Amino acid sequence: MYHFNKILALALIVLLTGCSIGGEKKIKIFSVEEPRKKLDYPMPTPLQMEEIKWIIITSENADEVFKKLEEAGIDPVLFGITDKDFQVLARNFAQIRQKLQETNNLLEEYKKYYEDTGNSK
Amino acid sequence: MAIAIMLITGIAGAGMYVMKLRADNATLKANQIQLETAITEQNKVLEQQKADFEAIMESNKKLNVLIGTFKKDLDDLDKRFTKKNRDIGKLALERTESIERIVNGGGKNAARCIELASGAEHTEAELKATLKSEINPECPALANPNYVPFQ
Repeated sequence: MYHFNKILALALIVLLTGCSIGGEKKIKIFSVEEPRKKLDYPMPTPLQMEEIKWIIITSENADEVFKKLEEAGIDPVLFGITDKDFQVLARNFAQIRQKLQETNNLLEEYKKYYEDTGNSK
Repeated sequence: MAIAIMLITGIAGAGMYVMKLRADNATLKANQIQLETAITEQNKVLEQQKADFEAIMESNKKLNVLIGTFKKDLDDLDKRFTKKNRDIGKLALERTESIERIVNGGGKNAARCIELASGAEHTEAELKATLKSEINPECPALANPNYVPFQ
């Protein structure tokens, strides 16, 4: 009986601790830094402007201008602006051009800063 | 007997104290290594911050110069219309054909300025232009980077 108890106790110990012998392998968690994908858009395609022909029409040359248009097969109609509005139009165009230039430069500077110096996060 | 117990206790205590000191020493060494690593990393961050700050300053400077040229270009444009009490309407009445030619030339130049502002490549002639007669007067700073206006 004494031996039986001993064997039983030993069996009980093996039963309870058996799974822990050798043990579970420890999980190792490690992180690998994956750099953010670059937004690699090409720079916008430059514009190609079409030429506009300005015609100056005065009370004196109006007949001649319309006659020339008709002879060239162009509808004898002109969309006019005054000299003051022409000045405004020139200024507006200059401002649009400057905004375009500023935006393009900003884009280049951002690209340079975030791509050249590695500040891509 | 009591002396023997005290002696054993003393030796054991001293041994434990030495072991504690050794453990402390190991901890301090590990801390030292970590601090040195942290300092190196901090230095790297500081260097990067300095480089970034310089890059930002340089970029700001460039953009400020650009905005300065914008104002000058607009002032120059206004001057072309109003210089010496010039009245473009009156001039167009008196010299219709020549003003028409000038307006068309100006329009062509302005269109080229827009192309360049949108990122078009400069032509060789634009890059080589150093004389006033060779430049695009609508946007000399943009079209002719080698042209230095006479002050």
